[in-house]
Amino acid sequence: RRRRVPAAPSTRRLARELGVDITQIKGTGSQGRVTDEDVRRAAAALQE
Amino acid sequence: MVVGDFANEVDVLVVGGGPGGYVAAIRAAQLGRKVTLVDKGELGGVCLNRGCIPSKALITAAERVQQIKEADRMGIRVNGDIAVDLPELMNWKDGVVKKLTGGVGTLLKGNKVDVIKGEAYFSGPDTVRIATEKDSQTYQFKDCIIATGSRPVELPSLPFDGKRILSSTEILSLQELPKRLLVVGGGYIGLELGTAYRKLGSEVTILEGTDSLLPGVDPSLVRMVTRKLKKLGVTVVTGAMVQGGESSEDEVRVTAQVKGEEKTYAADVVLVAVGRKPNTDELGLEQVGIQLDERGFIKVDKQLRTSVPHIYAIGDVAGGALLAHKASYEGKVAAEVIAGMPSEVDVRAMPFVIFSDPEIAYTGLTEQEAKEKGYDPVVSRFAFQANGRALTMDSADGFAQVVADKESKQILGVQIVGPEASTLISEAVLAIEMGANAEDVSLSVHAHPTLPEAVMEAAEGVLGQAIHMVKK
Repeated sequence: RRRRVPAAPSTRRLARELGVDITQIKGTGSQGRVTDEDVRRAAAALQE
Repeated sequence: MVVGDFANEVDVLVVGGGPGGYVAAIRAAQLGRKVTLVDKGELGGVCLNRGCIPSKALITAAERVQQIKEADRMGIRVNGDIAVDLPELMNWKDGVVKKLTGGVGTLLKGNKVDVIKGEAYFSGPDTVRIATEKDSQTYQFKDCIIATGSRPVELPSLPFDGKRILSSTEILSLQELPKRLLVVGGGYIGLELGTAYRKLGSEVTILEGTDSLLPGVDPSLVRMVTRKLKKLGVTVVTGAMVQGGESSEDEVRVTAQVKGEEKTYAADVVLVAVGRKPNTDELGLEQVGIQLDERGFIKVDKQLRTSVPHIYAIGDVAGGALLAHKASYEGKVAAEVIAGMPSEVDVRAMPFVIFSDPEIAYTGLTEQEAKEKGYDPVVSRFAFQANGRALTMDSADGFAQVVADKESKQILGVQIVGPEASTLISEAVLAIEMGANAEDVSLSVHAHPTLPEAVMEAAEGVLGQAIHMVKK
């Protein structure tokens, strides 16, 4: 089973704003937590 | 049509001024939209006028009476009878309600929301007719939010008569304490109000159709409440299927099948609290083609859009948990979506609170639900009997329980039954929303002596290191 991505509500909102599917991001925070930075990086990669 | 077909143009039309509607209106206004809110009754909806707020006011008053009775244990002697002046109590409660509904009006005004007192009826996909006391006019809207709420379900065999067969609305405004109160329905509404009236002095009997009070709630939480009800002298009859009832001059008699046997219960008033249904009729939804689910609630997507994309539905009318905080949350999401933001319903931990005695509150997954979702859960329970603050409050029945993922220790759910459970659950909601693990909670310093320490210790128990509980 896929676990829910550990990410704060504000980070989840940021992902929606930047059009990134948070479940596709590999979190670099402790225990795989997705950080704002991870989301921004994923969004930038989509741009390219 | 008196005024003809001249259409008033509005940007965002919110139908309903309850906790969903008024919050949606304010949020939409914050985001620069021109908002019109229409409500046929009082601002604040069910929650403020005949739900959350009045019921909690009565519960607090009843609890105060109970505390005075029990103060003896602390060496406080109260001489003489405790007299409850019900009309005065209701006055006080009405004052609280008035203050809050007035506040909602002020907030709407402060946000420049136009408020119309009237009934809205859809005449097309972007028009409603609003009938006020004076006239009836057509309004054209760009976006609309339906927040019309819900109302008590009536039992055909025991229809409300406003005198002896009452809904939750009337029971919240009784002017005379019933000597005998019969409650049909052992859900949270019947249980909360039944307990309150018992503490105020009524003899209370609760009839529940299933085999336990609070069906759907973790039985280990309910057990603590059932025990206290017994202590308070509330009669609970489970497996009771109500057949019908009859009012006479001086009482009401209700018959029920109880485990194959027909029984009759006589009371001064009966509260029928068997559920709530959505206010979807008399709105003209069929004119617009808005789809309902099989239970009659409006179908919505994650952005609260109905099957007609520029019409949204929030709160009770949109189904799911019928909770004021859920309605308000959805109101904000719908307003943001209308304003072009990519918001959606994204809730990992919805808090559920029951103002029973002791209080029940839970959020996230139970152990059973966690297993069903494929987790390997570990459960840790900390009793309030080992919490200093609970003992000093003379209120130590119950426990706080944390359900966590065994491997990651991530907190999946929290269940609390005990003093101030309704308040304690907020920390659990934040922990789950933040993806916190048991260690995060255990490493956060909790003030001493306070009730939230019980949550911290339950989290420590997940790690096998609670201090005030010996490892089994």
